[in-house]
Amino acid sequence: MTTCSFRQAFGRGVISSDNAESLGSVKGFVLDGRGGQIEAIHVDGRGKRSTVLDWSSVRAFGADAVMATPGAAPSPVDGDHAIAAVRGTVSMLGARVLTIQGQEIGNVDDVEFDTESGAVVLVHTDHGPLGGAQLRSLGSYALVVDTADTQAAAPPVDPPVSGERGTDAYQPG
Amino acid sequence: MNLMRAGDVIGLPVVSIASGEDVAEIRDVVYDGEGHRLIGFTLNKRGLFAGRFKAVLPADSVAAIGPDAVMVDAEASIDQGGDPLPGMDDLRSARPVIGNRVVSADGSDLGEVVSVILSTGEVPQAVGYELRSADRSDTAFVPISAQLALSGENLVVPAEATAFVREDLAGFGAAIASYRSPALENDV
Repeated sequence: MTTCSFRQAFGRGVISSDNAESLGSVKGFVLDGRGGQIEAIHVDGRGKRSTVLDWSSVRAFGADAVMATPGAAPSPVDGDHAIAAVRGTVSMLGARVLTIQGQEIGNVDDVEFDTESGAVVLVHTDHGPLGGAQLRSLGSYALVVDTADTQAAAPPVDPPVSGERGTDAYQPG
Repeated sequence: MNLMRAGDVIGLPVVSIASGEDVAEIRDVVYDGEGHRLIGFTLNKRGLFAGRFKAVLPADSVAAIGPDAVMVDAEASIDQGGDPLPGMDDLRSARPVIGNRVVSADGSDLGEVVSVILSTGEVPQAVGYELRSADRSDTAFVPISAQLALSGENLVVPAEATAFVREDLAGFGAAIASYRSPALENDV
């Protein structure tokens, strides 16, 4: 699985693969209500005049450019949900992270997604990473996450700073 | 079990787990002093034109109360009809509990009720009262039990519960310890 982060992706050119025409550049992402899947890429314009490229029209999310499927064209942004996303009213980056227990655990720093499926794999927060499956909803107030769902937790990348979350190995006695 | 003073819930946003939106804000706690029972919350609207919300939030519709937000499963958890909470009618005759003197059955003054303590898990409920001694130097927590007797000014703790107060501070242990963390200790 190849992943890419939102911050790395910004500014990458979006190119039509049949006539090599430039369709815009990556300006942002429209995510589903859970915050776990990219639905479209914001490629041009602002606010209600934005155009977006549906994720199904992405042939390859490459390291240097995003190739659109032949014949695919960006479409005008449609629907309250997508408009809120291109306007930045609902934005993953910087979002307040709130657990389903009602506790704030920082803000979103960056998001890593699978370049093939568009699924969010990791959410980096200033309190550490969260797994994509721990996400519950993304709204204008917060990204709601289930940190108790350890099955869905992000695989440990760095050793934890302190062992207070009980991640240490079992110690008899 | 995490505990919280009822007053600290006021002003918290009410956030929908389904949408990540802040659908309301806690205006006040509706508490039945006589039955020692948390009934629910009245709400304010969020945002610029904030005002009173007709909608109310019954305690059993709360998904969780945390230090930063009151969580509900979805916006529909809020009773949009704004019908009085069940049991709210009885409150007209209810007696306030804050400020009551707490007296043990053997006649010693344990202090004055300064707040209602809520458990903040998935089923929020009133679990105790915080007392301040007459000379304001000591704080104690009395667990709520069915035997508490309440009059206009006094709350009488039965003899066996008086013993429980002490035991409780040890037995409740972890709960009270987490409750009386330094952060909370300062905000009296």
